[in-house]
Amino acid sequence: MARRVAVVAGGHSKFGKRYDATMRELTAEAYKPIYDEGITQDKIDATVLSYAASQFSGQGAGSALMADYIGLQGKPHLRVESACATGTASLRAAWGMVSAGLYDVMLVLGVEQMNRVSTATATEYMSRAGDMRWEYPYGISFPAFYALMASRYMSEYNMPHDILAKIAVKSHHYGAQNPKAHLPKEVSFEEANNAISICSPLNLYDCSLITDGAAGVVIAAEDRVKEFTDRPMWIKGIGAGASEMKIQDRPSLTTIPGAKYAAKAAYKMAGLEPKDMDMAQVHDCFTIAELIAYEDCGFAEPGKGPEMVENKENYHDGRIPVNCDGGLKSKGHPLGATGISMTYEVMKQMRGEAENASRQIDDVKHGLVHNVGQSGQFVNVFIYERGW
Amino acid sequence: MAERKELYLGYTTDKAMTPFMQDFLENLDEDRLMKSVCTSCSAEYLPPRQHCQKCLSEAKLTEMTESEATLYSYVVVNFAPETLSSKGVYIVAIGEFPSGLKLTAHITNFATMSGPPEVGMPLKLKFAKEADGKMITYRWLV
Ligand SMILES: CC(C)(COP(=O)(O)OP(=O)(O)OC[C@H]1O[C@@H](n2cnc3c(N)ncnc32)[C@H](O)[C@@H]1OP(=O)(O)O)[C@@H](O)C(=O)NCCC(=O)NCCS
Ligand SMILES: [Zn+2]
Repeated sequence: MARRVAVVAGGHSKFGKRYDATMRELTAEAYKPIYDEGITQDKIDATVLSYAASQFSGQGAGSALMADYIGLQGKPHLRVESACATGTASLRAAWGMVSAGLYDVMLVLGVEQMNRVSTATATEYMSRAGDMRWEYPYGISFPAFYALMASRYMSEYNMPHDILAKIAVKSHHYGAQNPKAHLPKEVSFEEANNAISICSPLNLYDCSLITDGAAGVVIAAEDRVKEFTDRPMWIKGIGAGASEMKIQDRPSLTTIPGAKYAAKAAYKMAGLEPKDMDMAQVHDCFTIAELIAYEDCGFAEPGKGPEMVENKENYHDGRIPVNCDGGLKSKGHPLGATGISMTYEVMKQMRGEAENASRQIDDVKHGLVHNVGQSGQFVNVFIYERGW
Repeated sequence: MAERKELYLGYTTDKAMTPFMQDFLENLDEDRLMKSVCTSCSAEYLPPRQHCQKCLSEAKLTEMTESEATLYSYVVVNFAPETLSSKGVYIVAIGEFPSGLKLTAHITNFATMSGPPEVGMPLKLKFAKEADGKMITYRWLV
């Protein structure tokens, strides 16, 4: 019988263009608050230490470097890679090991150092996650993959770009209140709607940021949880899904099939429904991705995501608050750290510890994390339950 | 057996050539777009794959007879990955043939268009070579 597993602690580096740090220092910055809470190296049985793309740092065997740097010599470690879903993929792997009884206490930490190369180079590296034979030669960058979804969505549902700009306005509104955010500034609707085009129909404010950062959480088996906290966040449901490698092969571009599947599986395992969620952290690598996530996670019917935006149901005091930490758009998107950062934010909200009351969601009992890799090839959805 | 030529699909490539891809590109060089058809279950693939996705049997290159498609989705790339950054703005389009097969390629004559592309608009398949004659590819024309 699988053991229940809870998130018992978390740490988060400042996100941004971190010319003062590289992968190893960022790792330390995310582990330090966890260490300070008393979860010292000797209490950790094993780790999953991940980053999405080794091209950025050129470092091979990075999990060994990370483990060594934060004093985890001799502790078994491994790296999991699932593009931008690397963080939650690491957590899914660790959950399996803890629930099966292999280890009791694990540190799961994700990091990415992206700003030591130019934006064009970073875009190049990321585009190699497309099919190298049939997509990459045509210069389909990450923004381009999501623009292909946006064009189709806008056409099928006759949606104006305004809706996407409104999502960016919300993200920046909350990012401005998050001291860990990469670009903590408010943006007006006009500015967001008329920004310079990156991959039309997506403009600058539809895109997430190229960010350096790290985030970590500690998970523990049920009989060990009390040693670490009286406020455990239980992992209630996990769902994972996948979508076709080539984007042209998807049956639809107005949904991410793997995300829909992952969400269903997570709800089923948790015995909960979309209406039971008090908040969600969704993978808004682009504004269109957030919109599609509302529908894939069951918060809106297909084609009805725009109504949720118009009615501001996605704000902290709305029906289903989404990304009230600024999301990938304003908080930033250090690929391998993102899924863990989302998890950290759910814990923070549950504990009522958001830095500003104006972004604190009231009484969070259940929270959802939706983390997408590439343009949907990997998806992990986690459902958490407050344990106090 | 034909001499092994250096043919590159698209504008940059992983250069991981195989006899199957060589065959595909030699056909392309002679203005034939090849799909592949499974020798066991008849499933069709575009772009072609050597192994059937369903039954893993051999899929054989077979000439496409369709050359007119409709625009399924598109993106106008203003900010390109490094290797294409000198190219200027380009449009990537997914075209859908009447058979339902799809193909991803650039629309190259968009300067003739009066506005942005529209989903559902007609596209025509065209074969092309880059100036140095080495890089061969297929394109969409509006
Ligand atoms: C959109 C993008 C190309 C812009 O990069 P860039 O032009 O090199 O941006 P710079 O770093 O030079 O910054 C220029 C300005 O734009 C701002 N900026 C950069 N990216 C921004 C973004 N995504 N949203 C809003 N503002 C942004 C910067 O803060 C800076 O402002 P300033 O002049 O006031 O200081 C880049 O952010 C990007 O590629 N984002 C997508 C990342 C991605 O694909 N991730 C994987 C997704 S799964
Ligand atoms: Zn077959």
